Amino acid sequence: MSLNRRDALLASLAAPALLAAREANAQPTAMPVRGGTLIYLEQQTYTQLYPPAGGFYPNGGVLNQLTDKLTWQNPQTLEIEPWIAESWTVNTDRTDYVFRLRPAVTFSDGSKVDAEAVARNFDSFGLGNKELRYPVSEVISNYLHSEVIDPLTVRFAFSRPAPGFLQGTAVIGSGLVSLKTLSTPFDQLGDATKIIGSGPFVVQRQNLGRELVLAARPDYAWGPRNHPHQGRALLDGIRVVVTAEDSVRIGALLAGQAHVIRQIQAYDEKQVKDRGFQLFAPSTRGVNNSVVFRPDNPLVAELAVRRALLHATNAQEIVDTLFSPNYPKASSIIASTAQGYVNLAEKLTYDPALAAKLLEEAGWTLNAQGLRQKGDRQLVLTAYESPPQPRNKDTLQLVAQQWAKVGVRLNVLAGDLGSRTLDSLDPVRTPVAPAMVGRADPDVIRSQYHPLTRNVLLQAGGVASKVQSFSDARLNALLDGIASEPDGPKRLDLVAEVQRYVIDQAYTIPIFEEPQVFAASTRLRGMAFEAVGRPSFYGAWLAAR
Amino acid sequence: MMARHLAQRVGQALLVLAATFTLAFLLLQALPGDAVLIKFLELGLTPDQLAEIRLAYGADAPLWRQYLHTAGGFLTGNFGTSIRAGVPVAQLLAENLPATLLLAALAFAAASLLALLLAGLATLGGQSWLRGLVRSVPSLFVAVPVFWLGIMLIQLFSFQLGWISIISPEPWEELALPVATIAVPISAPLAQVLIRNIDAVLAEPFVAVARAKGASHAWVLRWHVARNALLPTLTMAGVLFGELLGGAVVTEAVFGLNGLGGLTQQAVANQDVAVLQAIVVVSAAAFVLINLAVDLLYPVLDPRLARGRRAA
Repeated sequence: MSLNRRDALLASLAAPALLAAREANAQPTAMPVRGGTLIYLEQQTYTQLYPPAGGFYPNGGVLNQLTDKLTWQNPQTLEIEPWIAESWTVNTDRTDYVFRLRPAVTFSDGSKVDAEAVARNFDSFGLGNKELRYPVSEVISNYLHSEVIDPLTVRFAFSRPAPGFLQGTAVIGSGLVSLKTLSTPFDQLGDATKIIGSGPFVVQRQNLGRELVLAARPDYAWGPRNHPHQGRALLDGIRVVVTAEDSVRIGALLAGQAHVIRQIQAYDEKQVKDRGFQLFAPSTRGVNNSVVFRPDNPLVAELAVRRALLHATNAQEIVDTLFSPNYPKASSIIASTAQGYVNLAEKLTYDPALAAKLLEEAGWTLNAQGLRQKGDRQLVLTAYESPPQPRNKDTLQLVAQQWAKVGVRLNVLAGDLGSRTLDSLDPVRTPVAPAMVGRADPDVIRSQYHPLTRNVLLQAGGVASKVQSFSDARLNALLDGIASEPDGPKRLDLVAEVQRYVIDQAYTIPIFEEPQVFAASTRLRGMAFEAVGRPSFYGAWLAAR
Repeated sequence: MMARHLAQRVGQALLVLAATFTLAFLLLQALPGDAVLIKFLELGLTPDQLAEIRLAYGADAPLWRQYLHTAGGFLTGNFGTSIRAGVPVAQLLAENLPATLLLAALAFAAASLLALLLAGLATLGGQSWLRGLVRSVPSLFVAVPVFWLGIMLIQLFSFQLGWISIISPEPWEELALPVATIAVPISAPLAQVLIRNIDAVLAEPFVAVARAKGASHAWVLRWHVARNALLPTLTMAGVLFGELLGGAVVTEAVFGLNGLGGLTQQAVANQDVAVLQAIVVVSAAAFVLINLAVDLLYPVLDPRLARGRRAA
């Protein structure tokens, strides 16, 4: 039984927006047909639908149909374009944003999507709400307050430059919900019927943990201005059915009982394609699937050791052995489709001879057991597998085999979620960890590495309290720069610099660029994806058999 | 007498429930990490934000206070909140418990029928090779992994033959394959115990007497053997309830049904302590009720037991 939940991490990152725009059409000339109910099989049920928690893939797949965003990130260009906001102005410091809203937009409970409602949404996302237990949104930092200028104009102020905010208004985590939803405690927002958005679909029926039925909103008339489809959704409805078992999802698709399914394992891709079905693999456009070090642990504190292990890792072999061409080999810490990407492949070569040389030079010599030893310490490292990531256990085990060739042992542990969570906050227990995260804005790098956010390297000052002293001021200065540099080109220079710095320090060994893989019947047309691979069914339709 | 016996049994049942609640609470609290940490770490919060959220959930309160709080909640019907699912535990139970009860009841009925059928075939006179064959069926049934059986049934009846839709089933279709999946392994121990007891009772002198009086095999089975052979089977049935729940975990996951099984699996995987606490107590209550029912049924099936109690 496949209990692998590949979403949690990926997920947590709400950042959508770019329709991967892969029109699935075999015959682009066919005229769209209105009507029909799409059957969509999800591997897991949604858990929490408060928009900033919508990063988890099953959550995002639902929220993306229910809510609209202030802006739309164009799939082709990654530009931010109008949606609920018709236009906006930003000051040069990027501390002050004013949005002019489209008139006559309503939530599905009839209330208005006006400046007041938008202001309340971002106040919740940017500041959290203790009483209702809302956490602060990961994509909004330095938020001060909102101001309603007139019924259709709203202003947001920030304490420091917030260049990532405009893209932050386009992500799933910034989906607009009604004031009624925003007065419901966090603990009750796992109930989809409590999520009132202004999106193209509304919740019709819910069977918690089993299925969710969405219906098209007949009066929907405010899709993104530049979206190829306008007006109400083409589909009459969507049935999201939770089908945990991989073989049942694929079997149901092949047997014609479902139109689209999420989460196809790399080894199942071939049979789906061979049977003539469509396969989509939109990129998650964020931080690549990687192995990271926790330099607070003395074993990996030395640069030479980390560099040796980087060159002892054969990412090409991992991709060829375990994955498919939909999982491109990584050539930087971020995906080649991400903003500000720099190709660093020449720094990431597989070179076991160099690895051995680096270890020898650093005083790590092979002992009688074939392990690298220095004084009385042996290079024996530990990592926990991360079940949400695709074939992560296999990946780590292959890495372990590759490292064994240069005399380094990597123990790969499974462990229950509680132990895994606690141990991965302790650099002594987990000197090595798998990591990845998706979002189509350079802010994602800061999210991943900064000690005050995800802190994957476990620097001092973050959530991990067992860290002794490791902290990299240079890295953090670069990350803070990305979060607050108001000048676009300068910001991308920082993005390039941080990629080089992280690789030069060998903090991270990038493995592959992670996609989200979907399969669909040939009847499904107009299927689209936002920036990190969540489906958008607004323009989708079902062709006749 | 009967009333006192009943009161005694109910008192015992309540004690068992209270002990189960406490033990479950302590064991769940002893697990490393907690649901609040797991859930919110995933959202990329800063240390201060995380500390605030933990405070809001009372995750760092002393153990005795959390215990009293949880116990008080259970007594007043408030089972807390599922941190993973973001809904009250009571809502999760309301949506999942009836589905599992229906599945379990149907599966148990089907398993009983199957067991009776097997026992009947295995103890009928006539062809000895057929008897031998039927007698080896329960071993086969017990050996079949539930998970594999479910997948095979789906492949055959839904994907190959197209008789039953797994994704958009009619009401009767929805439970047909899951019931069969659970009933097969559950029927095996029932059938084995039944067969063994029928054999034992058939060897008793009073059966020989009945036969000598000219009773047919079927008459002997129906009027002389059935009641006697059913008693141990009934005990077995009470014990099998646990297996039923275990079977439901796998079956519900394979068939994508909602129910206590799927809920348990999700709660365990995500260390959703409030849900687990409620499931443990609900399952314990079910066990206690079923065993109470079995206990009360004994004297109905076997009047000797009722007499024995009266004499005592």
